[in-house]
Amino acid sequence: MELSVLELSKRLGVTPITIERWLRQGNLPVSSKGTHCRFNKKDLENWASKRNISLDFSENKNLSSPEKEHPLLSAAIQDGGVYYDIKGDNVHQVLKNSIDKFTVIPQDFKDDLFDRLARREAALSTGIGKGIAIPHPREQLHYLTSPVICVSFLDHPVDYNALDQKQVFVLFFILCPDLKLHLHLLSALSFCLKDFQFIQFLEQKPAAGLLIKKIEFLQQRNTI
Amino acid sequence: MSKIKNWYMQIYHKLFHLDDRLLLIIVGSIAGMCSGLAAVALRLSLEHVFEWLHPFRQYGWAFVLPAVGAVLSSFYLEKIAREGAGHGVPEVIYSVSRYGGLLRFRSSYSRLIASFLTIGSGGSAGPEAPVVMSGSAIGSNLAKFLGLNDRQRITLVGCGTAGAIAAIFNAPIAGLVFSVEVILGEWKFVNIIPIAIAAVAGTQVSHAIIPEQVIFNHIPFAVSYNDIFPSICLAGVTALISIVFTKTLRQTKKIAQKTSLSFWSKALLGGCTVGLIGIYMPVVLGEGYHFIQSMISGTFSMGVFVIFVAVFAKIFATAITLGWGGSGGIFAPSLLIGSLIGIFFHKFILLIFPNVEIAKEGAYALFGMTGIISGVMQAPLTGIFLIVEITGGYETILPLILVSSISSTMSHYIEPASFYFKELIERGQFLRPGTDERILADLNLGELIETGYDTFSENMVFRDFIEALKSSNQNFFPVIEDDTGVYKGVIQISAIRKYVLDPGVYDMIFLNQIMDTDVLTASLENGLQEVLDMMENNNMDTIPVVEHERFVGMISKNRILDLYRRELIMQTSVY
Repeated sequence: MELSVLELSKRLGVTPITIERWLRQGNLPVSSKGTHCRFNKKDLENWASKRNISLDFSENKNLSSPEKEHPLLSAAIQDGGVYYDIKGDNVHQVLKNSIDKFTVIPQDFKDDLFDRLARREAALSTGIGKGIAIPHPREQLHYLTSPVICVSFLDHPVDYNALDQKQVFVLFFILCPDLKLHLHLLSALSFCLKDFQFIQFLEQKPAAGLLIKKIEFLQQRNTI
Repeated sequence: MSKIKNWYMQIYHKLFHLDDRLLLIIVGSIAGMCSGLAAVALRLSLEHVFEWLHPFRQYGWAFVLPAVGAVLSSFYLEKIAREGAGHGVPEVIYSVSRYGGLLRFRSSYSRLIASFLTIGSGGSAGPEAPVVMSGSAIGSNLAKFLGLNDRQRITLVGCGTAGAIAAIFNAPIAGLVFSVEVILGEWKFVNIIPIAIAAVAGTQVSHAIIPEQVIFNHIPFAVSYNDIFPSICLAGVTALISIVFTKTLRQTKKIAQKTSLSFWSKALLGGCTVGLIGIYMPVVLGEGYHFIQSMISGTFSMGVFVIFVAVFAKIFATAITLGWGGSGGIFAPSLLIGSLIGIFFHKFILLIFPNVEIAKEGAYALFGMTGIISGVMQAPLTGIFLIVEITGGYETILPLILVSSISSTMSHYIEPASFYFKELIERGQFLRPGTDERILADLNLGELIETGYDTFSENMVFRDFIEALKSSNQNFFPVIEDDTGVYKGVIQISAIRKYVLDPGVYDMIFLNQIMDTDVLTASLENGLQEVLDMMENNNMDTIPVVEHERFVGMISKNRILDLYRRELIMQTSVY
């Protein structure tokens, strides 16, 4: 296999100007000179191993690792499901009752999830104001395969120790197998919740299909 | 009184502290004389013991003599001196490149005694490497005694080496060249003068003590153009033989290391084997200087075929002696093998072309020696100058240079590392001055690490972190556990940039949710090379250093480049 100056410069992570200087100084094993320099792969490997230089010839090497595909907010809500008329008079009761209804959480892990959420609430309330709370655990949940958001509309508003002291009527549970996804979903959700019309829309306790449609519409405007 | 002292101190300071050249020349010549003495002592005692043992060699049981010597020698090294066997040259080179030439005092005599026992009893090895070890240890300890620094100590190690080689061969330039080419590896103005003077001092000591017993007499040879083509062919042969010799030495040593015998039974076995070969081929025994002498002067009488067998017998005997517990070097065996090949080649040519007019067989013995020395040590200058000085004239220089360059090039092509360097390269200890490996080995992580980073609790709310961010100039924020201080992860500004600009998440998350936990970390035990590889393979510019689960600091490529450059300037500047 033969390489050109440009290909070799990419492999070594230097500019072609550097390669040309090395050629001029006689530091590179060149196989044919003239108008176009070509390099023999075997000679180069030999040369690199003697000089303790890493030279990767594998073709499918990704020089820059691609950005991980982030899950969409709407898809996470679709997977998590929307639940209505959750009973309860305080934070713990609404959490407990919500978790009991979630179908994505395996039965064995429901108590564990409740403990985690309760601990998180004890550290700092997840009520972000305007009647909305985003309960989430601080740790990753290994038993989930993909990130989900479960939406619980409460039967009647509950005092959630929110920052603005407003009573909470809807909970967005962010449950993720990975903390990085968590951050992304949280950020995307907080973008939607900045929209005043969206809050008004939520107050009407919309059907699941409508809610997801609305969010899809909103996230198209979000560039994050 | 105090005035005199003051005056003395001023003179002393001016002469020795401001400019150490005079000091190095004086101490260097002392080192050269001492190592010359050591070399002469070993040579004389070897000769006497060889003569003393000579009458016993006619008995059948004489083959156990080398075994006794080898057992005593390995017992001495293992139990009394507690130093490893082997010739010691790689150790000296490594010590020069890594520890500023620091050598133990006992090295200055332990190898001498061990090799005296090995070679005196008939083991096939050379006294040069032990003498080199001894000379360099003398130089090193003189420097230690005078409280000199590493650079001066290295020069004195070179002086000791040069004195030893010069004294044993009566060849001052060969001593200088060997010392600089093989041991120090750098031609520096400040080194060369003291080493040259030490080499001359060593030669003078050996002249003064044994004026008539110089190893090789100066014999002039008439070399014509007819000899050029044969000497080129001879160079090819010597290159091949040098590779066979080097490989045999290494293989035998490997086999010995795999064998699960105690050190003295190995030595016994090896010694007996050498003794048995010696009964049929006395030429393999000892260091063989008088055989070389007789070959150069043309009084060596052996048949073509016998010489051919003797070459391999000597290779095998040397490999067994050195691999199985004996102590000594390969210099003298290389010379003997070289001269045997030279003579064989000469006789072979005369056998095929009886009428051809070429130089005497002594000249070919010299060509062969140069070929093997250049091939085995891959030190062409040492090969050329040693033989030129031995012959005492420049008549033979053309074929010598031809043989030397061809042989060293060919053997370098097949086996890129010379015998002395191969072990060091395999262990990653071949660190010549001014090379990348040397600088990376000298810089340790402690020097490169950037400390003073503020650490953050994993339970910190993101909003507080943003506040801290405003007044911080860090780009990396190590996150630790609250109570224990254990390192948990690191936050990089580049990774969280988009969340920093989103106030909606400020109160929602803690640092443990945002930190990067899978960032590779280095520890203080890692070498710089490893750390650089880690960074290279993972596309990182900065790497956190974590020691005993505690965050210590960060290492950045910027800092490495900065220090690397300074180190390079320090190490390569011409003094």
